[in-house]
Amino acid sequence: MIRLHNVERSYPLGRGQLFYVLRDIDLDISQGDFVSVMGPSGAGKSTLLHILGMHDHGWTGEYFFDETATHHLKAKERASLRNEKIGFVFQQYHLLDDLTVYENLDIPLSYRHYSKSERTALVGDALDRFQIVGKKDLYPRQLSGGQQQLVGVARAIIAQPKLLLADEPTGNLHSSQGEEIMKLFRKLNEEGMTIVQVTHSEKNASYGKRIVQLRDGWIV
Amino acid sequence: MRADLKHAFRMLVKAPAFASIAILTLALGIGANTAIFSLIHDLFLRGLPFKEPSRIVHLYNSDKARDLVDVAISAPRYQLYRDGQTIFDGFAAENSFAFTLTGLGDPVQIFGGRLTSNYFDVLGVRPILGRNFLPAEEETVDVALVTKNFWQKRLGGDPNVIGRSIILDGTPHTIVGVLPNMPAAWFGASPTAEVWTTKPFQIPGFSYAQIMRGSFFLRVVGRVKPGITIQQARAALPSLEQSYRAQHPNNIDSTLTTMLRTLPEDVTRNFRAGFVTLFAAVSFVLLIACSNVANLLLVRFSGRRREIALRMALGASRTSIARLFVFESLLVSVIAGAVGAFVTWHFVPLVPRMASNFLPLEANDATSLSIPVLVFTIGLSILTGLLIGIYPALQGSHADLVDGLKEGGRGTKGSLRQQHFRKILVGAQVALSVTLLAGAALLIASFIRLSQQNIGFRSQNLWTGAVTLPTSQYPDPSARQRFVEQALHELRRVSGLESATISGDIPLVGFSRYLYARGDRDVPPVEKRAIAPGHDVAPGYFKTWGVPLLAGREFNEHDSADGQKVCLISQAGAKEIYPGENPIGKSLLLAGLPWEIIGIVGDVRSVRVAEAPGMEIYRPWAQHNFPFVNITVRSNLKVDPVTRLVQSALAKVNPGLAIATPQTMDAIVAQALGQARLMTWLLGIFAGTALLLATVGIYGAVGYTVAQRTGEIAVRMALGAQANDVLRMIVRQGMTPVAIGLVVGLGSAFALGRLLGTQLYQVSPHNPVLLATTAILLAVVALIACLFPARRATLVNPMQALRAE
Ligand SMILES: Nc1ncnc2c1ncn2[C@@H]1O[C@H](COP(=O)(O)OP(=O)(O)O)[C@@H](O)[C@H]1O
Ligand SMILES: [Mg+2]
Repeated sequence: MIRLHNVERSYPLGRGQLFYVLRDIDLDISQGDFVSVMGPSGAGKSTLLHILGMHDHGWTGEYFFDETATHHLKAKERASLRNEKIGFVFQQYHLLDDLTVYENLDIPLSYRHYSKSERTALVGDALDRFQIVGKKDLYPRQLSGGQQQLVGVARAIIAQPKLLLADEPTGNLHSSQGEEIMKLFRKLNEEGMTIVQVTHSEKNASYGKRIVQLRDGWIV
Repeated sequence: MRADLKHAFRMLVKAPAFASIAILTLALGIGANTAIFSLIHDLFLRGLPFKEPSRIVHLYNSDKARDLVDVAISAPRYQLYRDGQTIFDGFAAENSFAFTLTGLGDPVQIFGGRLTSNYFDVLGVRPILGRNFLPAEEETVDVALVTKNFWQKRLGGDPNVIGRSIILDGTPHTIVGVLPNMPAAWFGASPTAEVWTTKPFQIPGFSYAQIMRGSFFLRVVGRVKPGITIQQARAALPSLEQSYRAQHPNNIDSTLTTMLRTLPEDVTRNFRAGFVTLFAAVSFVLLIACSNVANLLLVRFSGRRREIALRMALGASRTSIARLFVFESLLVSVIAGAVGAFVTWHFVPLVPRMASNFLPLEANDATSLSIPVLVFTIGLSILTGLLIGIYPALQGSHADLVDGLKEGGRGTKGSLRQQHFRKILVGAQVALSVTLLAGAALLIASFIRLSQQNIGFRSQNLWTGAVTLPTSQYPDPSARQRFVEQALHELRRVSGLESATISGDIPLVGFSRYLYARGDRDVPPVEKRAIAPGHDVAPGYFKTWGVPLLAGREFNEHDSADGQKVCLISQAGAKEIYPGENPIGKSLLLAGLPWEIIGIVGDVRSVRVAEAPGMEIYRPWAQHNFPFVNITVRSNLKVDPVTRLVQSALAKVNPGLAIATPQTMDAIVAQALGQARLMTWLLGIFAGTALLLATVGIYGAVGYTVAQRTGEIAVRMALGAQANDVLRMIVRQGMTPVAIGLVVGLGSAFALGRLLGTQLYQVSPHNPVLLATTAILLAVVALIACLFPARRATLVNPMQALRAE
């Protein structure tokens, strides 16, 4: 499903020098895979995930998504491809504080071509499925961290993406809460969702099917 | 407290960008207010240098039915009131007048008046040398009072001035007293009054009988007795009116009713509405400036949450922290006040120079730093500081310990409340700006109408100057006719002068009114007759002025004193008085005598540019004239050379004559529009400032929101929002308060239209096109102000932004 070839990401260091965050990345991820990206802090894990998530385009190399050469796409086309295929979960949840759970879930749908009734139906499904119907009118600060991340995951998959990207989804959670999220991921993966997660924990990585190790921007 | 102030000062120095923007913004607002207040102080509050000026009243006559509003008082009426009234301690009259002064260098025209002997006693003005007039001097003795300026400039401060003789209009007058310089507010600034004589009931060229028939020319004042209110004085007028009507039923002014106004009210009446408007305008500007700075302070204070939390952790109370912030805002506003006042004191003195002909400002006084203005500025600055500081200080000091010390957390409840506050500020700014812009737009539209108004003559390349003919040398109409013949003869020989003419008055400067009636109908009694401006003109008048002859013929040399009496009337008059008829050949009754109408000329706006044309009567100089002469010359030379040419031509006829106020007709027209122009400029400048400040305010508020919400925007983009979604969201949120402000502003512009109504010419204060244009202009500017930060928002890179969290 995903093929990266010779992907590199660098930042100017000044005096014409470059600082490479990612070096010569070749990576294949097939449909239904569950990959855990591991490595020390600063290795480039988040950078890689944002490239996969098409949030960043300041890189070089080739990135094929389902045979589409995303590196040849215009920004707009890439954005609509992303909206159609990819969901994202953040370490800090990044729920919008001024919106209720319901409204937070609705955000991704509001940026895609869904009718009003479809949106209501999809949000309703998600609330059911994650068993948070009772919380739909609460604001994020009224939820525990684990509940917030639950909403974060629900929001990431509400638009039915094929690929779920998660950057240290349990990094801010207690281990029991983290475990719940991991179980949820495994369930999603079993239902056919392709997942790439960044994690520091061996235990979390064990929920996945394989591990990619990053060190100083290289896959090792 | 000292330490707090020091801290506030240090905080400002540490943030020079914030400090200079805030100070500059407020200085604009406070400076504009100081400027207008100092004008208002000079015009309205300073008061006249008379004894208890609010007990002195000015009497007017009116008869709406005859189109006579606020006209002067006739001599017989004055005398009857003087003898019959019981409400005044003193009752006096003035007939303003221009004298030719000779015997002190070149002859010059000087201004002043002829007074009843008690005039300055009633006003309560004491001479600095000598004495006021004595009752015995009123009717027969040639005495004069002069101002300090006259004494010092024209007489070199002669210590023996009392008893010295000066020659006015060819007659020696003995100076009996030197007065302080007189206030422009009552005696006019341009020309300045500097000499007064007695014999108030005589006008050269008018017979005693004419004057006693009720011609009105006296400015009458009375000092209300102690214990009598102005209302009581007013109530006493009708019985006086009635006895005048009973005693002089056939006088031309017998139908007129008398009203009075106190002097302070009287001298400010004409520009009261204008200054209310200007004061409203500068208050709006200041409020907009305040809301901009309040917003800056809010940002600044909430940005210091760590500092506050630290202070609180060390034991500071909320009040002490709020006080710290208020000190800071006070410091900003007081510095701004000083800057604003400093700039103002350099600009305010320009106003008397621009406006001397319609605002009675003392040119030399306005520069002085007056205590009330200073107090006003200081008070306003402190008020401003509190106004802008209180809310941000309370908000800023709200920060709680834990929240402040730990970093992070996007969109807390406090910031939501602040966002709300910011939206209210933006909405208010927009509302104020729209109101102001609408007012300015109306005034500008009105001014354009006014200045494009066809005034009926060609003012370009016209020079004009006035001459008073001394009655001793020109005692009767035929002598004055000879003078005009000779003067025109000399003027027409001068090369460089295209054409020349002479008339008793000129448009927009001064005019006489005459009773008239159709000679071919039942003649109404004198006191019911209509009245119209009348002009005595020499041959060539219409050609020189460029006034078209529409029918019949012009005057010529054959229309002499002993020939058939003839006149011309204006087109509007012809339509009004002779609807559907041909007036030529018909007779018009003027002062009881029939005058044959021989032609119709174009309409001239002779009284005011804004006054619709009506009946105007022209008579040949040879058949009717007074000893006041206006020479008008068409020439493409500049004022001074023309003045020299005319002066030397005049000297050949009579070397003892002086030309008063030589100027171009363009200048007179410009002056006639001066008040409208000044108002338009000032309001335009204030509205422009308001628009600028509001734009900056909107830009700042939206920009700050975008900066604060970068994280949220990044999350939304990561969840699928595209550039257009973000742009739309920011613009929508930025424009919501703008839209509300627009609605409120249009509403208040509509409501305030009444205030402007009296100042507008041929423009409705509710002109929908102008109001809509204003709203659109502001909406577009606001949209642009929103688009810049909104565009910046679309450039947020979610990866970077979320990393920075
Ligand atoms: N905008 C940037 N400019 C310079 N260096 C950056 C920028 N963004 C990330 N980096 C660097 O890239 C490296 C990898 O970052 P990241 O992908 O966040 O690492 P990880 O998620 O593995 O901890 C870090 O050393 C970081 O400092
Ligand atoms: Mg990371």
